[in-house]
Amino acid sequence: MLAGVMSAGLMSSPARAQRPDTTGFEITDPLVLRKCGGCHKTDSTNRVARLSYLRKTPEGWEASVRRMASLNSVKIDPAEARSIVKYFANRQGLAPAEVAPGRFETERRLVEYRYAADGQTERTCRACHSLGRVILQRRTKSEWELLIATHRGYYPGSDFQAFRRMAPPAPDSAPQPHPMDQAIGHLSRAFPLRTPEWTAWSATMRPAPLEGAWSLAGHEPGRGAFFGRMVISKVPGTDDEFTSRATYRYASGGALVTRDGRSVVYTGHQWRGRSTPAGMPPDSSMREVVSVEPGWQEMSGRWFRGGYDEFGMDVKLTRVSPGAAIAGVSPVGLRAGSRDVEVTVFGANLPRAATAASVDFGPGITVTRVVRSSPDEMVVRVNVDSSARTGQRDLFAGGASLRNAVVAYSRIDRIKVTPQSNMARAGGVRVPKMFAQFEAWGYVNGADGKPDTDDDLNVGTVPVRWGLEEYGVTFKDDDTQYVGALDQRGFFTPNVDGPNPARKGSRNNIGDVWVVATYTPEGANARALKGRSLLIVTVPLYMRWEPSRTAP
Amino acid sequence: MRHLKAINRKARTIDQLNTPATPDVHDQPDVVALQGNSGPRVPDGPHVPLGCSFVFAPGWEVDSSGSTAGLCQPVERDLYDCYVTCFWPIHVPDLLNHAPDWTNKCAAAQQDWRKIDLIFP
Ligand code: HEC
Ligand code: HEC
Repeated sequence: MLAGVMSAGLMSSPARAQRPDTTGFEITDPLVLRKCGGCHKTDSTNRVARLSYLRKTPEGWEASVRRMASLNSVKIDPAEARSIVKYFANRQGLAPAEVAPGRFETERRLVEYRYAADGQTERTCRACHSLGRVILQRRTKSEWELLIATHRGYYPGSDFQAFRRMAPPAPDSAPQPHPMDQAIGHLSRAFPLRTPEWTAWSATMRPAPLEGAWSLAGHEPGRGAFFGRMVISKVPGTDDEFTSRATYRYASGGALVTRDGRSVVYTGHQWRGRSTPAGMPPDSSMREVVSVEPGWQEMSGRWFRGGYDEFGMDVKLTRVSPGAAIAGVSPVGLRAGSRDVEVTVFGANLPRAATAASVDFGPGITVTRVVRSSPDEMVVRVNVDSSARTGQRDLFAGGASLRNAVVAYSRIDRIKVTPQSNMARAGGVRVPKMFAQFEAWGYVNGADGKPDTDDDLNVGTVPVRWGLEEYGVTFKDDDTQYVGALDQRGFFTPNVDGPNPARKGSRNNIGDVWVVATYTPEGANARALKGRSLLIVTVPLYMRWEPSRTAP
Repeated sequence: MRHLKAINRKARTIDQLNTPATPDVHDQPDVVALQGNSGPRVPDGPHVPLGCSFVFAPGWEVDSSGSTAGLCQPVERDLYDCYVTCFWPIHVPDLLNHAPDWTNKCAAAQQDWRKIDLIFP
């Protein structure tokens, strides 16, 4: 039965040979035909069984090739695999607009994702993995069917877990499709092989012209904002592979970091790279998953590493143009009545000899002097009037401007801990630990005086006292004693894996706890403010589908 | 594989899977047979904190109420059932496909858990 399911669709049927199916993509690449053609048959119109009827991300193609090697005994060396993945990602990839909703998946972000278009499909298909895997594929209806058949063939439990309705129908109810049939119907309408987005993108697609200097701005949870630049050069003899050197500095201080990287840009917009800080061992390298915006002036994405890709930073790159540009300011929050505050303006081509009068933060904020000024960084001192009105201020300096660059405020109204819920995993003995980093942000309620409304203003991260509190689920909950430790930087280190004989029933060191941040505002009789986040410390993964090898 | 007493929904689901006979309505945790129109899992479920990129459904990381309290514990005790039944194929190696020899080095995961291997498919 298994073999029957598994070989389904591999041969091009005689019917198809007589009446060519031109929905699929033509495949003529000799390497693909040589490596894959033994099982995937080509028809008279150069359509190859199964392969012509799919579109995926580079990670998606990589997973298929990997499975051909692991479960279908295909012999393929790494260089051939890379070249085949590139071929498919470019010829049968996804357009920028198609990738956008699923970027959290390839960027390996821990986010709360809801798939609103069809609740039943969401429930059926996220029973084992993220829906990100699903929404980053495009297939014909018969390919969606074969995908489900493949799941059922390899993992017979999937019928029971998700795909089929197990209970008999209620006596008076109308016949209902099995969840998998509803999912197939929905997915083939929502994610068909041919789309206007792909037609348009594949017509204009070309190797991305990225060479040159880019201004880099980012945020790393726990370390805050950083700014710098990245210089990108082409790898000789290629038009879609690059080397890069990024140099940046954290706004909170510290030395300049330099990272050297290498990347491939798939489908004209999907940057997949790996970079290592100068002088550091390769295991400190980060994977770079970055999207190039159409027009090649901006890119954004995430750089990450760690046992579960949990250490990461958001990055944004903007092509440096001849004129001056401001990338960001630190600190963002300026409290009314404060004097002589040092503020750094980060950017590109800033004036070397700026004067205090040429740097304008708007009403209520006076620049008293320019401490130093270079093309990338300008350090100034400001006074904030005690009557400065609460609100954002645009910055104008050296001919460049930045909207909403800083926030003047008189009082922090509440504290928000991010992420608002988070996950860690026990580890350290047999499996890696999954760590968690939290940050505490100060907020002003805004003109309406109400929390959590659109006019709230974020004044930046604030110094807090960190602690763990019990999230009461069971009677005599004692998770805080076992799950691990939170330090005063908001960094959580989980406890070890394995059964813990000291716990009732030898439970693992898992549990649900609140991460609580306590902020004590300046001023004599100020009331302490608290913010919290739910932290789930849970069991490891024993199967590791990552890491992806789509980066050099 | 019936040496386990089913202590949570996941384990009970496995039990049902291994029991082809007519299901006993009294044993069913979610009264699915009486409602007749839903799958074996909790329909929409309460708010699970992370509906996310490395996680998904109540079951492996959290129970149906979004907590770790109802998980089969310690996880080592449940691992081999998951392995043999391919029950959490994204989280645990499966006997059928990726890891036919996974348990060779340790016969009882709860004692020999230090010998468990991670599998990179
Ligand atoms: C030894 C026979 C064999 C060879 C050679 C082979 N495949 Fe496959 N392929 C299969 C079988 C069997 C299936 C169906 C089962 C499955 O999906 O694992 C399949 C399915 C696929 C699928 C569909 C999976 C999906 O649902 O997305 C893709 C894509 C694929 N193969 C890619 C390739 C590529 C690329 C090559 C060449 C590097 C290749 N295959 C070579 C046997 C083979
Ligand atoms: C029983 C658990 C389970 C359920 C439920 C499940 N999946 Fe999967 N899925 C897997 C596993 C395991 C893999 C990895 C397969 C591999 O690469 O060997 C996978 C891989 C995939 C892939 C990538 C594979 C490829 O060849 O492109 C897609 C797409 C996918 N699933 C879609 C779905 C959809 C759609 C649904 C809902 C109808 C679904 N899955 C429900 C376990 C599950």
